[in-house]
Amino acid sequence: MKSNTLAIGLVVLAVIFVVLGGLYYEGVLQIAVSDPHAAHHTTHAILFTVLAVASLVAANFARERTV
Amino acid sequence: MTLGQALFMGLLQGATELFPVSSLGHSVIIPSLFHWQFKQSDPTFVPFLVLLHLGTAGALLVLYRDQWIAIIRGFFTAAVRGRITTPVERLAMLLMTGTIPAAILGVFLESRIKSLFASPFVAAGFLVVNGLLLLGFEQLRRRAERRAALDAKPREEQEESFAQAERISFRAAAVIGACQALAFLPGISRSGVTIGGALVAGLRHQEAARFSFLLATPTILGAGVIEVPQLFSSRVPIGEYLAAALLSGLAAYASARFLLRYFRSGRLDPYGLYCIGAGALSLVLLTFRA
Repeated sequence: MKSNTLAIGLVVLAVIFVVLGGLYYEGVLQIAVSDPHAAHHTTHAILFTVLAVASLVAANFARERTV
Repeated sequence: MTLGQALFMGLLQGATELFPVSSLGHSVIIPSLFHWQFKQSDPTFVPFLVLLHLGTAGALLVLYRDQWIAIIRGFFTAAVRGRITTPVERLAMLLMTGTIPAAILGVFLESRIKSLFASPFVAAGFLVVNGLLLLGFEQLRRRAERRAALDAKPREEQEESFAQAERISFRAAAVIGACQALAFLPGISRSGVTIGGALVAGLRHQEAARFSFLLATPTILGAGVIEVPQLFSSRVPIGEYLAAALLSGLAAYASARFLLRYFRSGRLDPYGLYCIGAGALSLVLLTFRA
């Protein structure tokens, strides 16, 4: 399915994932964590970074090509 | 935990991680049956499990080293190009598709589910359920063989009529990946649900096992690597744990080699029957020893 709109949506999603990853790493977000007192939630941060990369890869697949 | 117990647990983990019989279920039930008193809440127990998992993941990386090099190269090539042109690039993207749901569910649910159900009775019950699932997957496969008029043919010919891992759909890969979350329940086998799911998706048994093992590698490795900092705690008897991890890796390597050969013509039935029998026997023993 090729669509520039979908590709842009996936890039926006990647940015959201990066922000969420940063917030988890800084301990600002405490949703669904095993230890709410931990200063950093590294596992969650890594997960959202991976999701951001996956979204960018998906965006590259989704974009329409001119050639 | 004594050295003997650590080595036994390493062997058990390595052998049962890849067989469709639930390593977690066995590692919950067996110490309880032997009345081993080591506490799973001990701060050194998590690093122990981490090393055992790294041993298993290391064995899978060694077993599939050439394929992993090709898969990683294929992933980056396809990701940059934005198009899949070769079977190995497709396999790389399928593995990514399958790993993401497992990673999300693992990060958000694993510790809660494991702590909720970490009782030998529950594990024994789920071991029976795992056996029924394996038999169910094989029933679905036999139905597919009958539909394709393959039931009268020799096993090798039946198997050749089904697909290779690269032919699986992306939706099926995502569903199979998400099914790995069922293995957070002690007694349900990660390889069992992924091999079974891949069979239902139309793969031959050997390819289903290969896809399951490839899919397990990033999940097991990722879960292990994230916990590595815990290994640097001064109370961890690193020498004993490394010996257990080595044993776990050797057992996993031997298990994977055996299973890949077995699944050329073998089915999941014996493992299903084993799980039902072992689960039922464990329930009886645990009830009388309680």
